[in-house]
Amino acid sequence: MHAGTRQEQSRIRGWFESRGAADSHFGTVLVLVILIILQTVVLGFDYSSVGHWFSSWARNWINILRNNAGIGIVSLGMTMVIITGGIDLAVGSTLVATGAVIMTLLDTGPKGLFLKMGLTGIPAFILTVGTAIILGYVLGTVIGLLITKGRIAPFVATLGAMKIFRSVTQHFMQGYNPRVPREFLKISNLTVGNLMFMPIIYWLVVAAVLHYIATRTVFGRQVIAVGSNERAARLSGVNVERVKTRAYSLMGILVAIASVIQVSRIGSMDFANAGSGYEMDAIAAAIVGGTVMSGGRGTIIGTVLGMLIIAVMNNLLNLFGVPPFLREAFKGLIVIFAVLLQRKESA
Amino acid sequence: MIRMENINKSFGAHRVLKDVTITIKGGEICALIGENGAGKSTLMNILGGVHQRDSGRIYINGSEVEFATPADSLNAGIAFIHQELNLINDLPIFENMFLGREPVNKWGRLDLDRMRAETEAIFGRMNIDLDPKTMVRNLDASYKQIVEICRAIMMDASVIIMDEPTTSLTAPEIKRVFEMMDTLKKQGVGIIFISHKLNEVMEICERYMVLRDGELVAEGLVTDVTADDLARFMVGHDISTDVLTRQKIIGPEVLRVENLCHTHAFRNVSLNVSKGEILGLTGLLGDGRSELFQAIFGAEPIVSGDIFIEDRRARLHGTEQALNLGIGYLPGNRKENSIIKDMNVLENASIVTWPLFARQGIIDKKKQENLFAEQKTRLAIRMRKNTDNINTLSGGNQQKVVLAKWLPAGPKILILDNPTQGVDVGAKEEIYDIVLRLAEEGMAIVVLSSEAAEIIRLCDRALVMYQGEIQGEVSGDTMTEHDIMRLATGGSLAAS
Ligand SMILES: Nc1ncnc2c1ncn2[C@@H]1O[C@H](COP(=O)(O)OP(=O)(O)OP(=O)(O)O)[C@@H](O)[C@H]1O
Ligand SMILES: [Mg+2]
Repeated sequence: MHAGTRQEQSRIRGWFESRGAADSHFGTVLVLVILIILQTVVLGFDYSSVGHWFSSWARNWINILRNNAGIGIVSLGMTMVIITGGIDLAVGSTLVATGAVIMTLLDTGPKGLFLKMGLTGIPAFILTVGTAIILGYVLGTVIGLLITKGRIAPFVATLGAMKIFRSVTQHFMQGYNPRVPREFLKISNLTVGNLMFMPIIYWLVVAAVLHYIATRTVFGRQVIAVGSNERAARLSGVNVERVKTRAYSLMGILVAIASVIQVSRIGSMDFANAGSGYEMDAIAAAIVGGTVMSGGRGTIIGTVLGMLIIAVMNNLLNLFGVPPFLREAFKGLIVIFAVLLQRKESA
Repeated sequence: MIRMENINKSFGAHRVLKDVTITIKGGEICALIGENGAGKSTLMNILGGVHQRDSGRIYINGSEVEFATPADSLNAGIAFIHQELNLINDLPIFENMFLGREPVNKWGRLDLDRMRAETEAIFGRMNIDLDPKTMVRNLDASYKQIVEICRAIMMDASVIIMDEPTTSLTAPEIKRVFEMMDTLKKQGVGIIFISHKLNEVMEICERYMVLRDGELVAEGLVTDVTADDLARFMVGHDISTDVLTRQKIIGPEVLRVENLCHTHAFRNVSLNVSKGEILGLTGLLGDGRSELFQAIFGAEPIVSGDIFIEDRRARLHGTEQALNLGIGYLPGNRKENSIIKDMNVLENASIVTWPLFARQGIIDKKKQENLFAEQKTRLAIRMRKNTDNINTLSGGNQQKVVLAKWLPAGPKILILDNPTQGVDVGAKEEIYDIVLRLAEEGMAIVVLSSEAAEIIRLCDRALVMYQGEIQGEVSGDTMTEHDIMRLATGGSLAAS
């Protein structure tokens, strides 16, 4: 009787796999679908006015996605890093560091760098975003080099970087409250037909690009190889150090993008607290999406699904009126649950 | 006595075992042979509780048993030496020896002293010079295999399954393992011995059972057949083991090594290989040849000495650079050094050759598949879909995939460490032939092997290593098992 259900299960899984996905996200999709159905039920289906119901349902969804776009992007980079067998605890601090630079460059007050140089409007925005991305890249690369050339364990190296980046940022931003131009906020808050969904687009685009990198480029496949069997990868002529370093560089770039989204959403940043806890949320999304902490396994699609599961669950807890402090407990539960499920599957 | 009756097993739609019935008696060594992918390991995995059969029954001494887990099988007195190494690298040898059945003292603490003592005792009986406190990580493949064998031997099992236990061992250890098997047999232990080396089967086994495509096609007494008969039973037709011939055009020197020294594995090694030449390297356990060529491939640090590629000094600081300089290296110990378990067959086969099918780092899937398709037919790899996980292939077929990843890379010099480990007799000939063709096309080839017979058949000349140094060279007339063994044990060739 057990065998029957197991066979049935594997048949369904096989069907999913034959639809082209190398890693089937069967379980993850299933959980997400259940949560979405639950959420729809809770929101209540309005039979009298389907149109009205749908627009409020959609609005709720756009809210969820927009609120999670930044961390969603960070979690994609975290996935790559975890697949190499590493971890990046410094994402939150990198986020405030790049955020501080963005705001300093764009400040509309007397200290604003670009304003002093007479640079305003779109060119200033483009330069700012470019600088942020370069800075993210540099910070990520430094972390990567510490890990590969300096042979410091990823946990330790990024823990150090986490402390350093934030404390240096806080020091320099002490008593300084830059304001970014209102037009800059359009990057995240542009409304189209009174809907605000730009961050969602960025998230989707970044996810698509990363999915492509992970599945279709040599680098993406080498990331898997390095995380799965570093020795075999090395003995196949893979430059293990470079692959790892690049994963952290990529992480830095993605954090910079998240930082741009964050700053342009609210126009300010709390340098002491912004981004703290991002590392854990990003890791949680990756794990729920099927990434294995010991490396070698994980997908971009999985992490997007993982992020959605966590987001919908948060939304549900909100709808149920669960007190905010308790919600984190649920996040913890779902991560543990996901890992237990994975273990059962691999056994 | 163990009886497996009408065992059937499928993986998905793929029927791997078809109504297989076998009997193993105590006090007997029984060979289980068959081509790569015939189902030998699968059958044994069912007996070992690793896989579950679809139908059929297993009896021990007449009563039916059910093995849901490997532990069940072990508790029923069946010890299993798996085809792939199964040790924990981060534990010392003696703890590995007792994994899962650790003895405790009266305080409930691990009885480390007893574990160490018993390990020492078995090493003593096997005449093995190993410190039980050594971390397994620091052992090379052959020593790991020995540890696995010793572990199974000391389990007091009534049946021992040995799935290709000798693939990375050299003659003296094989001899000692055989002596142990003989002793165990006399004590009434039944042994199932899987091997592709038919001379071993002829030497040590009483009975044979042949699997072909998941069916038991022949069984009987070894004394009634010859090695050629066994080979024929396996593949269904005769296998020609003709003398290998090739057009020998030896060109200029490709690789030269001068006074290369490693921290401990080898010292003062000098050698050279030329275009179109096949150089053999052999020796006994701990001769350092694998480490030597890992160093030449940039994967091991060297203390002093020089490496020249086509007369240009190469300062290697990584394998990628070595690859770019035209060095190819197929390592031994497949599971740890070659197989990337989270990648599928296609990706495992194309991890080296990506410049051939990727532009600007972007993979051309079609090209990648075509490249592999060629190798797949060339090496007759028995597999289903490219996207299957590498672990679903039989051991010998995994080895072929690993070989396939180097063949199209077209290095100037290709180093093959134990290239035929675990491949069946027919495929072995194929691989030999491929190696010869590569040499004909002008590749310099180095074959590392512990099988003197392989070296003699394949190589133009061979260097024999002893404890990290090159003890001597054999070629032409001196290329005999006798002379190789003399050098390998630290002797010298008699002055003639
Ligand atoms: N876990 C698995 N999933 C799917 N197919 C499998 C799995 N394990 C083995 N197979 C298939 O079963 C067949 C028999 O494999 P098995 O490992 O028993 O061969 P073998 O006789 O031991 O060969 P070798 O001499 O190469 O070790 C092969 O075709 C293999 O691809
Ligand atoms: Mg096998």
